Amino acid sequence: MPSASLVCEGFRSQAATTATGLGLPGLPTALVPGHVDVQSADELRQNVAAVTVDAVIRNLTEAVAEVGNAVVEPAPSDIVIEGNLDEVNRFFYENDWSDGLPIVPPTPERVGEFLRWSPLPAETELGVLLPDQRRATVWNVAVNGVMAGCRPEYMPILVALIEAMADPRYGVEHSGNTPGAETLIILNGPLIKELGFNYEQGALRDGIQANTTIGRFWRLYLRNVAGFLHHRTDKGTFGNTWRVVLAENEEVLRRIGWTTIAEDQGVAGANAVTISRYTGGGVIVSVFGNTPDRMLPYLADSVVRKVGWELMFTVGMGVGSQKPLLLLSPILAETLAKAGLDKAALKHRLFELCRIPAGQFERYIGDWTNLVPGRPTLSSLVKAGVIPEVFAESDDPERLVPIVCRAEDLMVAVSGDPLRTNAYAFAHNGILGFPTTRPVRLPAEWSRLLREARGR
Amino acid sequence: MIGPDGRETYRVVWPRGAKAVQATDVAPRLSTLDGKTIGQLWDDLFRGDEIFPILEEEIARRFPGVRFVRYDTFGSTHGRDEQRVLAELPGKLRELKVDAVISGMAC
Repeated sequence: MPSASLVCEGFRSQAATTATGLGLPGLPTALVPGHVDVQSADELRQNVAAVTVDAVIRNLTEAVAEVGNAVVEPAPSDIVIEGNLDEVNRFFYENDWSDGLPIVPPTPERVGEFLRWSPLPAETELGVLLPDQRRATVWNVAVNGVMAGCRPEYMPILVALIEAMADPRYGVEHSGNTPGAETLIILNGPLIKELGFNYEQGALRDGIQANTTIGRFWRLYLRNVAGFLHHRTDKGTFGNTWRVVLAENEEVLRRIGWTTIAEDQGVAGANAVTISRYTGGGVIVSVFGNTPDRMLPYLADSVVRKVGWELMFTVGMGVGSQKPLLLLSPILAETLAKAGLDKAALKHRLFELCRIPAGQFERYIGDWTNLVPGRPTLSSLVKAGVIPEVFAESDDPERLVPIVCRAEDLMVAVSGDPLRTNAYAFAHNGILGFPTTRPVRLPAEWSRLLREARGR
Repeated sequence: MIGPDGRETYRVVWPRGAKAVQATDVAPRLSTLDGKTIGQLWDDLFRGDEIFPILEEEIARRFPGVRFVRYDTFGSTHGRDEQRVLAELPGKLRELKVDAVISGMAC
């Protein structure tokens, strides 16, 4: 069916490259001049009438050039270059296959070593990734794992990560959105210790091979197989760089009787990865107090301060999909648990405390931004049955309302320096990077392979 | 292997994945919009609710016989329901006898 796609001026390149990735390189687009957010109603009308209307009519009535011959691409195991380290790195960078840091050359021998650690055969297809519609396979997981500097024994985690990336619930296709949110990978299970992940001081900092290289792998895979590239399919206004893997402190969690993130997500008693996109966050320093009543107001206030436009995911796009993450250092978690709070109780206490004035909420979603169509009030959304009644217990704009729909929407993890009273709050990109958990499957020979690897 | 400059060389493989779709031509265009039905698809963002009425008005001025099926008929193409909305789209477009689509907003 003929179509016209309305595209603001700065997004034409993304439109063209995304259309090409989807297999429609000739898809016509109709220009909307400038950006609509900064135009008055009159300016918008003038621009649309003067430019967009004609473009739409052309899109729908003028013939589009036929697609030329298909570009011939290498086969997965083709040798694309033989060269020294500098030549390989320059070739990969010039072809947009590298992030600019030196890569480990993905020779067939190195890839083969990774494949020994895979729970699945090399040719297994894990999914088809948007926007480029390329096949994610165990083979190309291994190739990108080599490039990132991962060790072969990380391969089961890499495979699980790409299974999660390919899960439609996650929404990998949104990874180029303008907020530039970046994925946080959370690891649970015995692999944390078996593979030497850091889960203590500096848990979010690069410098530990397992945490760091797998974080880099994620971004390389988004580049090379999903197809996110600067100035083309990636439209992050600023963007973030990739995050290191966050491993939870499971000793502490067990000791205090709290569940892990994987268990909260319904994957119990196993190695698992959870991926979610966060728009940003910040450290909460020096939480003071030895009771929940003393500690939680500060933690809750800090979570609320990190969340602004993201409120749209609570009441608008993907209602109820906003899931902020509070990362507690172990000493904070232990102190709260000592006072009798399990994770569910903690989330309920935080739900009661993570509140902002209704008028402020409405400013974020429909005054300072235009992210929820029609600029609805919270009361009108409650009346329409879109959001829970707690958002409209009165009409007072100063009434305090929650920032999420349910207590369970607040996620809590435990990691970081065990003996420092800091926490970290992440703001979440809602439906556009929804928390998705996959178990990590190990190869049958895992124990033997690991013994051999440790001897190297 | 050692290259002519005495440095180790590496034979390396491609890091990408095979395309799952082949490039294809877009659908043939309409000869005119007069008498045609145009569907609107909106992602609930970036003032589509203001832009679509302007487009309707301007296109109808030039093609008086044109008819529009508004975006709320189909649901938002972005967000929690987008996969369902897109899956249902071919059937709905056929049922409503839509001839062409205007989709927005990419901003």
